[in-house]
Amino acid sequence: MTDTSKTVLSIAGLRKSFGANEVLRGIDLAASDGDVISMIGASGSGKSTLLRCIPMLEIPDAGTVGVGEDRVSPRGGRLTRAEEATVRRMRCQLGFVFQNFNLWPHRTVLENVIEAPLFVQGRARSEAVDEAMALLDKVGLAAKRDAYPAHLSGGQQQRVAIARALAQHPRAILFDEPTSALDPELVGEVLKVIRSLAEEGRTMLIVTHEMGFAREVSSRVVFLHQGHIEEDGTPAEVFGAPKSERARAFLASHFDRNRQG
Amino acid sequence: MEDLALLGFGPDGWGKVLVQAGLMTLAVSVAAFVVGLALGTLIAWGRVSGGGMARALAHGYTAVMRGVPEILVIYLFYFGGRQVVTAVGTALGFPGPFDISGFMAGMLAIGLISGANQAEVLRGAWQAVPKGTIEAGRVVGMSRFTLFRRVIAPQALVTALPGLGNQWQSVIKESALVSVTGLVETMRQVSVAAGTTQEHFLFYAAGAAIYLAITTLSDQLFRLAERHSLRGHQQGGM
Repeated sequence: MTDTSKTVLSIAGLRKSFGANEVLRGIDLAASDGDVISMIGASGSGKSTLLRCIPMLEIPDAGTVGVGEDRVSPRGGRLTRAEEATVRRMRCQLGFVFQNFNLWPHRTVLENVIEAPLFVQGRARSEAVDEAMALLDKVGLAAKRDAYPAHLSGGQQQRVAIARALAQHPRAILFDEPTSALDPELVGEVLKVIRSLAEEGRTMLIVTHEMGFAREVSSRVVFLHQGHIEEDGTPAEVFGAPKSERARAFLASHFDRNRQG
Repeated sequence: MEDLALLGFGPDGWGKVLVQAGLMTLAVSVAAFVVGLALGTLIAWGRVSGGGMARALAHGYTAVMRGVPEILVIYLFYFGGRQVVTAVGTALGFPGPFDISGFMAGMLAIGLISGANQAEVLRGAWQAVPKGTIEAGRVVGMSRFTLFRRVIAPQALVTALPGLGNQWQSVIKESALVSVTGLVETMRQVSVAAGTTQEHFLFYAAGAAIYLAITTLSDQLFRLAERHSLRGHQQGGM
């Protein structure tokens, strides 16, 4: 991308194996301020692993990950003490939304959202609560502030998880198949929230199987195949005129399935 | 019913000393349980997330403590401990005589044994904490300690509470063994009273009642704690 826009997130030469299975085979990717990048591909193509390598939930075997001014290049699947400190700084600048929400079940909705601001970033409680309430309002769940996660629907839990990610003041938000665990009728409410974040100009990386949504909200679409980036372009380029045979086949099968479904 | 007057608080009654003995049982048990909980947490930590060395130490400790009779550990601490303290004290040039109180030795012995058992309960509970909630803590930048304190421990305790309740009951019963050191707790006191008055049935029954009172009351407390800890779950109220 152009040098005038600020690089928020950068990945270079990223490799990761699980045992003999090489999941990522040298990935290069950079996101600038305001980019909304959808990552698509068949299951097993490495897109979730790639996303999880950014905050080092999976530690890559080789390559560099940078967030803002911080970067690490772990070797041998381990972090040194110094790298751990850098990784924690990087994590503080990111929001991460899981497929299975992963809210803390022993804390209320509000407590989930203020947890990191209070106990990681050390902000003042009143300030954190005010901000959390504004975020919950934004995802339409201010009324549920004192509910526990088990009493919410999947769509509501995922919206709380998004509010929790926003409370990080993230430079970029990473979504790992945010609607894959939801009942079909609950997908819309979550996509609506993500769409509104895209409209605010937030930097986001989204691993998704929702092709229509990816086409609509993304500024860029990345197609992964067997640990490589096969296509990287605007939605019009990737969806309209995919260069590789594999991307064409993947998209054809996906849109067929969506029409039938 | 002059028999029952023996249990009263009158001039010939044993009521007051029995209450004191009951309180001593409670004190030894609470101290031993707390020692066990602290030790159990450390051992569980070693077994779940320690390196190879910590893991081996924790494993060895658990194996030894669970395989040795409680009464032996108490003797080891009370009589053996006195020898060790004397040797160390003399070597450091302190004037004797040296002693270890029955309370100290008994409390430590039972606490060390309970620690091994509590570690097993805590380890199971720790491993049952949903992995995703731990990842959610790591990904917001929590340090290891914050993650343990804010995410792992609160969830593991909910799972561990019933098991810890059982361990507490064991500790209360094992505290009767401390009577061999001469510490005047419930068991010791009732056997002295029974011997003095020759009212064996009466005083041993009174002893049983004291233990039952302690276990029943504390069982209620554990139940309350359990109900409170389940407040976020489907089956719990709000």
